Order: sequence, then C-alpha cells, then structure tokens
Amino acid sequence: MNFDLATYYPIFLYLLVIVGFAVSALIAAHCIGPKKRTAVKLMPYESGMDPIGTARQRFDVKFYLIAILFLVFDVELLFLYPWAVVAYRESDRAYALAEGLRPIVFWEMVVFLGTLGVAYVYAWRKGVFQWR
Amino acid sequence: MTAGQLLTTLVTIVVVVSALQGACAYLILLERKIAAYVQDRIGPNRVGPRGLLQPIADGLKFLFKEEVIPDHVDKLFFLLAPAVAVSTALLAFAVVPFGPTSVEQPPAGYQFVIAPRVDIGILFVFAVSSLAVYGIVLGGWSANNKYSFLGALRASAQVISYEIPLGLSVLGVVLVSRSLNLERIIAHQVEHGWNILFQPLAFLIFLIAVFAECNRLPFDLPEAEQELVGGYHTEYSGMKFAMFFLGEYTHMITTSLLVTALFLGGWHLPGLGAVTGLVGVLLKLIVTMLKLFGCIVFFMLIRWTIPRFRFDQLMALAWRGLVPLALLHLLAVMVVLEWQLPRWLLLPMSLLLVAGAAGSAARASAAPRPALTAGRG
Repeated sequence: MNFDLATYYPIFLYLLVIVGFAVSALIAAHCIGPKKRTAVKLMPYESGMDPIGTARQRFDVKFYLIAILFLVFDVELLFLYPWAVVAYRESDRAYALAEGLRPIVFWEMVVFLGTLGVAYVYAWRKGVFQWR
Repeated sequence: MTAGQLLTTLVTIVVVVSALQGACAYLILLERKIAAYVQDRIGPNRVGPRGLLQPIADGLKFLFKEEVIPDHVDKLFFLLAPAVAVSTALLAFAVVPFGPTSVEQPPAGYQFVIAPRVDIGILFVFAVSSLAVYGIVLGGWSANNKYSFLGALRASAQVISYEIPLGLSVLGVVLVSRSLNLERIIAHQVEHGWNILFQPLAFLIFLIAVFAECNRLPFDLPEAEQELVGGYHTEYSGMKFAMFFLGEYTHMITTSLLVTALFLGGWHLPGLGAVTGLVGVLLKLIVTMLKLFGCIVFFMLIRWTIPRFRFDQLMALAWRGLVPLALLHLLAVMVVLEWQLPRWLLLPMSLLLVAGAAGSAARASAAPRPALTAGRG
C-alpha cells in the first residue's frame, strides 16, 4: 500500500500521448485547411450586427461570490477525503485507525461538519445562495 | 516498470485513445438518431447505409474545413483552450476501469484500466476533470466575443458549483469501501452488493452533478443556443470545434463509466464472479460495456425529456438542494458505520431525506415569491 511512483508511470505516458494528439490535431488542421481571410470573416460574430465595444467588460459580482463559496466548500471537502479513506478501515490493513481512536475521530468529524453547517446556515441567512 | 508492462501499457493507451475517438464519433450519430426519433424525424441517412458512415464524413469535414482564427482573439489562449478541453477529458480516463480488474497482489492477469492500482483513483478523476473548466474559461475569454464571454462565465459558475455535491456524494461510497481506488471500490461491491442499493440518494446526487459537469441538457446553459448562439465555443470552427466536442463526449463516457464503477458494481453481475478464464473476462467486459451504454442512452434520453433550467434555478438546485442533502447523507452513512448498524438502514434514510427535500421544496414553491428588489436578510 506504500506510495510507489511506478504506479503513476502509465499516467505520464498517457499524458504524453494525449498532448501529442492534441498538438498534432491542431497542426494538421492548420496545414490542411484552406485559408481565405476576409475582413468580415475575421470580425467577432454577433448574429450579423457590427459589434459595439469590446467583449471584455465588467461583469456581475455574484460570479466572484460563487468562486469564493466554491473555495470554502472545496477545501472543506478535501479535508474530508483522507478521513473517509481511513476512518472505518479493517484493522489488518495499512493506515487503519487504532480501535480506541474511533469514537474520538467520529465526534471530531461531527464537530467539523457542524462548523461547516453553521457557515452554511450563516451564508443562507445572508442571502448568498439567492441568485438575483 | 519492465519492458512487458511498458508494452502492455502502450497498447492499452493506443487502443483506448482510438476507441474513445471512434466511440465519440458514433455516439454523436447515436445522439442525432435518438434526437430524430424522439422528434419523429429520420435523422442522418445519406452517408452510407442508414447514415452509418456519417461520423467519418463529419471527421473528414472537420479536418478539411477552413481554419478561421479571427483577428480580435488572443491567439495563444485561443489555440490552447480546445487542447486543454480535450486533454483533460481524455486524461481523466487514466484510472477508470473499463472491464474486469482485480485487487490481488501481485495483480492477476490483464487489468482493464490504463493505470492500475492508483490509490488516489477517484480523487485523480475529480482533480483532472475540474481542470476542464480552464478550457472553457480560456476559450470564452480569448475569443473576445460577448456570447463566448457570457457562456464561459455561466459555464465556470455552473461547473464549480456542481463540483461540491459531486465530491460530497462520493464520500459515502468512499466511507463504506474504505478506499479511493476504483478497482477496490468495485471489489467491495462484488463482495457486499452494489452501492446503488444502499445509497440511492448518493447515486441520484452524483448523477445530477455529473449532468451539470458535462454541460448537458437540462443543464446546458453555457451553450444555450437561443440565448448565447454557441456559448463559449461560438468563435470556434473546424478542428478546434471538433476538439471541444470530442472533449465533451469523452467526458460523458468517462462519467458514465464512473457511475458504473461507483454505484452499479462495475463489471459485476450476480453469478458472474464464478466464471473464470477467457470467457469470464469477455463476459465481464461485455457487462461493463452494456452498463456504460445504458448510462449513455439514459443521458441522451434525458436530453429530450427535461427542459432547460433557468440560471437561478440551476444555482439554487446546487447550493440549496444538493449540498445540504449530500451533507445529511454523509452524516447518515457515518452514523451507520460508527455504530455498526445494518447497512440496509441507509435505504430508508435516503428515502426519508428525499421525502423531506421534496416536502420543503414544495412548501418553498407554494409560498409567495419574495419581491426581486428585497434587501438582504
């Protein structure tokens, strides 16, 4: 069960093949396809209208809010994964919890999820989850 | 890594990459056919018998189409975006078993997975597939087009929102199988029964989150044609568009295999474990493929069954519905495991949670809607 980098070699190999495929597809399309550049063809597509201004304008702050929420919950989630793997392991497998630790860990997790719940209720009451 | 292992891995990779591309091409045909039959049309039938050569014609067309890189785009990111989209979708496939696997040490026989015995398994899939949002954001940003930009904004908000319930729903499965390794999760189900029987709620949440992650109807707001033309890939054409498409369908195949491995017992059918030898391997492979195919057809039928969500409904479903449900379900699994209660107790717990959620949703929709201008509570 110990970490062995050799198990990850196939993934590296696979990554090389994929990147090779993606790059060669782009290059092949670049070499084969015809190119007839005209001014209208190279304009931004806005359903046939002439575009007004640039597309890179300010956008709504609620998207930032979603990003922050995601960060909070995703980090919490990452803490849960290692616990979930070892919490109820059979005692004969590697990294199993000692028998006496089990109730302590359980109640600690309940507290951890409880704080998460408090944060969630706070965010709800603040109206964070209301999309306006 | 010995030469033999290297050769096996290389052959597996080549076969998988080409099979995925072929599968994607024919899934597009299948989707068009299903769409056609649902809408009482015939669908593509001109190229080859019954339109069976249509995917090949499409592929050639993609290759020979003019390569348009508009003037106003950020060239580097514009080219990088489709490459990122297709690579992350393909890379996530690395640890997903697509046939019989074993957890014996040392492994017995050929393993139907590119990288066997990767202990972070499901975490790797999540890590890589959440990188896919970069493909969307880069594509939408670099195209310098208002439709693309809005589509990318929506897509990124949607994808990161549904990542939370996705991760939470899998935790229950990880808790009972005590491993992130997908082969071990399947082995656990072979021994103790499929996870869908004990955790139907986790299955449901996972399925909904997966639909949203794939940007498929009813969650295809990032590319809602009527509002945003093509969404984040409005400015893409030819091969670059094909790469976005390939990424999307590969993602669908990967997640369907994940659903199969996590909840539907992978290659397992009752009685199949006893069949050994080449026949057994072939039968297990066929069972996996059938389950995968069933999932994909389900995906496609849902597309023509449920209308598209509104954006605020989409966000409310993730944050107000799925996240608390998944947390409560996690708590239920914890309680069952801690006091070593019988596992079937999870089933009524799931049903109770679903009933409670449905009840509160019904009450919320019956209450008068608050005015849109109401201040924060």
